[in-house]
Amino acid sequence: MAEILTRLTSLPARSQSPHGVHNEKYDSQIRDLISYLKQPAKPSEIGNASQYLLDNLVPSEHSLSYLYVLNYRIQSIQNSTKNILPDDILPGGYSWERAVLFLQQFDPIQMRYAGQEWRNLVHLVSQAALAVSKPLLAVQIIKDCILKMDPHSRVFTSIHLVLVRLCLLSKSYGHALPVLDRQIYLFPTITGQAYQKHHRHMPCAVHESSDAFIIDDSEFSSKLTYRDCLQYLLYGSMIYMALKQWSKAQYCLSMVMASPVTNSVSKIMVEAYKKWILVSLLGHGRLTPEPGIIASHVTRIYQSLTKPYASVAEAFERGDYRGLIAEIEIAQSVWCMDNNLGLVSQVIRAFPGFMVTKLGKTFCALTMQDAAYRVSGCLPSQEIEQFVACTIMSNMLDAVLLHPPNNNGHTMLRLAHGAKSRLSQERRVQCQLISVDQSFHVLANTVDQSNIELDLGNDHFQFLQKSQRWVDHAGKIGRGFPAGNVNAADTDEDIMSDLH
Amino acid sequence: MNQTSLSLEQISTALTEAAKPSDLYDTLAKYESPALFLSTASDKESEVLSVFYSTFFFSHLLTDQIYEARAMTQRMPQDLAQKDPSLQNCLTLLRAVWQQNHEQIYRILRDLPWPDPLQSVVKSYDTYFQEKTLKEVSRAYEAIKPAAAAGYMGLDQTAAEKGDPAVLQRFTACGWTWDEQAGLLYPKLMEEASQQDDAKLYHDVSQILAMLGKGGSR
Repeated sequence: MAEILTRLTSLPARSQSPHGVHNEKYDSQIRDLISYLKQPAKPSEIGNASQYLLDNLVPSEHSLSYLYVLNYRIQSIQNSTKNILPDDILPGGYSWERAVLFLQQFDPIQMRYAGQEWRNLVHLVSQAALAVSKPLLAVQIIKDCILKMDPHSRVFTSIHLVLVRLCLLSKSYGHALPVLDRQIYLFPTITGQAYQKHHRHMPCAVHESSDAFIIDDSEFSSKLTYRDCLQYLLYGSMIYMALKQWSKAQYCLSMVMASPVTNSVSKIMVEAYKKWILVSLLGHGRLTPEPGIIASHVTRIYQSLTKPYASVAEAFERGDYRGLIAEIEIAQSVWCMDNNLGLVSQVIRAFPGFMVTKLGKTFCALTMQDAAYRVSGCLPSQEIEQFVACTIMSNMLDAVLLHPPNNNGHTMLRLAHGAKSRLSQERRVQCQLISVDQSFHVLANTVDQSNIELDLGNDHFQFLQKSQRWVDHAGKIGRGFPAGNVNAADTDEDIMSDLH
Repeated sequence: MNQTSLSLEQISTALTEAAKPSDLYDTLAKYESPALFLSTASDKESEVLSVFYSTFFFSHLLTDQIYEARAMTQRMPQDLAQKDPSLQNCLTLLRAVWQQNHEQIYRILRDLPWPDPLQSVVKSYDTYFQEKTLKEVSRAYEAIKPAAAAGYMGLDQTAAEKGDPAVLQRFTACGWTWDEQAGLLYPKLMEEASQQDDAKLYHDVSQILAMLGKGGSR
């Protein structure tokens, strides 16, 4: 056992490897260790001594060895108990404790060489937490794992889907935000493309973008389907809805709705459209236009399948409270069947707030008595001042209230106050600018990266120009090209030749 | 930290060592997994769970995470939530905060019995909520009756209506103006813009414009 341990501890973490060890050398050390661990006799040999080895390995330094030993241990217990989730891997068991410790401390550089094993362990932890009905146990661990492997979380993997699903099941919505709020715009890179032959990335090297090592061959993700992507966005939108972040929820839903289709739309897209209508009412108080990139025939399909939702939106926009209640009551079974009852009930509660906000379009100021009269259907008149004050306090309404002097008269509501909230408007614009700025940076970096990969970068063009000048110069002084190949130097096409 | 252990001492240390509410929230968020290993069948563990979830609930309120606080109340052991007085108080408080019922909030914080380990965090939230409400009222009202203002701030409304100087002084100390003839308080807008914010805004916007300019000239 001591001999195995010596071999398993021979590879230090990249950060602790002796100064000057080249990527090539470290890469070959890792590959040697993996070959050793994958020898046919090793799984049973290591599995038998797993407890001793795990107790003597440091997960942050000997991550690769630790992962293989842990996986061999789990496999051996699974085989002996004929159970995929034996007690040892369930929360509280020895393997569970070790798996959690490992996932909290692993070295991300070493893990670039063991994507599949790493993913299997993450999936197992999630299944074990679900098996004891405590999905929250896996949520924080998996979130940290994703951000450790891919700090910018740019590449979409099957682990992302696992995370958002667990967050929904455990009702721990806030934990999903550090991942959900990032701009994910890549799938694991498909290897074997012609342009990649010139750019072979060594996993242990420093990479600007995680798509250099999160590739299909490394198997950090199981095979992704069209459905996985839509599910991630739909679940993401549901998390934003739970946190009442309506604009982000609407953005996720619009991406699902606008997914490319050939003939027909999928059920998940229709589900997204239904939620999108309700979220639009909750976020804006009206039905916002559908994203422009949705094909008109797709929009028509959506509209034909979501008639009750359209009726609710119509009544809401008309400001017809009774009509709204009637439409909602008629289609009770629809909301239940679609699991949208919660959103629909929120639409009813949000109605008075938007009615008060709408007053600002017609009036500059009015007494509280008048305001009560105009929203009388949906709000008891005794509570109107309290309601309006809370609406202003929660930044939903831009207005101020004035009590009358000496209790003579009614409280005044002065709408579209504007000046007072200029600062908050500026702050809002600032936030939007910063968010767009971040998106621009991500976009610009990606374009640059693609240019480099495709040899379209400025550096490459400058190199070509220099080469061209050198060729021209060599041609003029009569050297550099063998006889009969002089025309090869004349590669600069004269596009004006027909005018000479 | 052991993944399966949580004690009253740990919660107490988190409370005393947290420099700001977000620190308290971050620490307690890490304790939620160990809390899942405790059983409500044991009296001792039930006590730890009660103090943990109550403190965690207040840490949500202190960081203005009302929706997350609601989700947390759905995550805590429901059998304990139904019988534990502290957690019952938390649920009543959540309802009042959700409905923005100011008078009810102060009543719950001040009149309901809270166990000793929670006294400090309850007091912190009372102070925090008063300060937050003062800012919100100053934004919502241009002129307000003292009794109404006192209601929002959890002060004695009857005394405020009679023009009690002690109550009025609480508002005038914050820059509000008292007009005795009209019987009204004129709030001072408390949303101040620091120069640092402006400088940051200017810097951020300049960077964005510079980047756009660079992109456009390509």
